[in-house]
Amino acid sequence: MNLYKYASPTSFYPLAGKMIPWFAIPAAILFLVGLYVGFFVAPTDAQQGDAYRIIFIHVPAAWMGMLLYVLLAIYAGIGWAFNARLSSMMASSIAPTGALFTFISLVTGALWGKPTWGTYWVWDARMTSTLILLFLYIGFISLQASIDDTRRADRAGAVIALVGVINVPIIYYSVQWWNTLHQGATLRLLEKPTIVPKMLAAMLIMLAACWLYSIAVVLLRLRCTIVEREQNAARFAEAT
Amino acid sequence: MDWSMGGYGFYVWGSYLCTFVVIGLEVFSLVKRKRACAQQSKAEPQERLRGPESSYVAQAR
Repeated sequence: MNLYKYASPTSFYPLAGKMIPWFAIPAAILFLVGLYVGFFVAPTDAQQGDAYRIIFIHVPAAWMGMLLYVLLAIYAGIGWAFNARLSSMMASSIAPTGALFTFISLVTGALWGKPTWGTYWVWDARMTSTLILLFLYIGFISLQASIDDTRRADRAGAVIALVGVINVPIIYYSVQWWNTLHQGATLRLLEKPTIVPKMLAAMLIMLAACWLYSIAVVLLRLRCTIVEREQNAARFAEAT
Repeated sequence: MDWSMGGYGFYVWGSYLCTFVVIGLEVFSLVKRKRACAQQSKAEPQERLRGPESSYVAQAR
């Protein structure tokens, strides 16, 4: 089987359509399971009471915001370097979902901050760098929307995506590099988790649900982008 | 389960409500966009859509 053929929008379009239900349905099931474990199985926290249950959506949303930006930068970079149209379209399709998760992480963080810190917002390093991430997403989307020529829009978007990716390690390490009000990382890749297994299970299930949801909506948006670009190209060809 | 979340109900339920409203809006806008694409491609005369990629439009119908 020649996998390279799926680098062409023509070949990938029907494959994306077939893949969407395989991600969307498990995403919906995992959201329900994650909420059940988070609200009915995970115990109340000894220090924060039930306010901590915001963690089950706040942490997965924050991770998705960062990871989707890295993916966006990789696809935009490949699209720019190799003139791969599908990669550029994929980057454009990832951006709104990444912005959405970053927005959710900021709002849920503010709602968690009020009962635990006594304030909705402070300009500490973690929160400020996450806000910058949201602005980078908005900048990427706005820049692409403002340029009529899609290839030029893709290249301009790739520049902002690749420059902005430096913000992701800054967000991740901000709680170590600076003295912040925000707590340290809940999970570290090479260290044993410090939270109760039931809480961890709920968080990981919600993270899996967010991943599957993201893949499904990005594929759906990608299909729309492919069709719209073809229609625009046909109109442009007719007009010139 | 304590539905009042120990007095933190506004913050906890507010977080989840906001999340699902935003996700719902994204899904709704995407479904609307998909339908608009399909309708637009139906309205376009077939002969305008030349080139090797016109198969997307045919599939979107």
